[in-house]
Amino acid sequence: MSVVALLEPQALDPQLELAELTEAARGDGAIITFIGLARPESKGGDAVDAVVLDHHDTLTRQSLEDIAVACGERFDVSHVRVVHRCGTVPAGEPIVFAGAASIHRRAAFEAVDYLMDRLKTEAVFWKREVGDGGSNWVEPTEADLADRDRWG
Amino acid sequence: MRILLHGRLADGVGRQVDVDAPDPCSVGELRRLLARSYPGAAETLDRSRACIGSALVGDDFVVTPAEQVEFLPPVSGG
Repeated sequence: MSVVALLEPQALDPQLELAELTEAARGDGAIITFIGLARPESKGGDAVDAVVLDHHDTLTRQSLEDIAVACGERFDVSHVRVVHRCGTVPAGEPIVFAGAASIHRRAAFEAVDYLMDRLKTEAVFWKREVGDGGSNWVEPTEADLADRDRWG
Repeated sequence: MRILLHGRLADGVGRQVDVDAPDPCSVGELRRLLARSYPGAAETLDRSRACIGSALVGDDFVVTPAEQVEFLPPVSGG
């Protein structure tokens, strides 16, 4: 089983990440991926030009790795790949790539679902949405926390 | 003593702030000192974790002048 967890300060290329995962997954039967995009609108309906992700020099990478490793241990997957942006991400651009490969599809589906529920609530980022009206800090919603808690 | 701040704390106070802290000084004392100096950040400080290097530390932890304390507000997640 292999785990890759990367913090990406530059543009994230989902095709490239999928190619890397596909290369690693030779011999498997399934690859499932999720690509999260910076939303162009806040929950309150305001236009968002960019999402800015403040991070910690060591704890952020560690949190990505901890989540990816826990995923690999929990599900019957052969490869886990998480790549997360930091810095300024213009609206519409990829902010996260989460992927898993497995022999049979169910494990990879569940693994990616788990990855995203934990990343959305526990990854060490401080995130703000920036638009014409200024900037707003974002924290996990009750729904995000409930999604995470499904995994016990 | 120089303190590093993240997220909304950095917004209100600055990424780095120098405080005139007693020696020795606990993390809890530092937290209260900052809250008095920056009342607008007090509520967020109250909800923030403290970290030295890559280790989270509690309010009882006694800081030496050579150590760099960081306050981390609740994370946003990815």
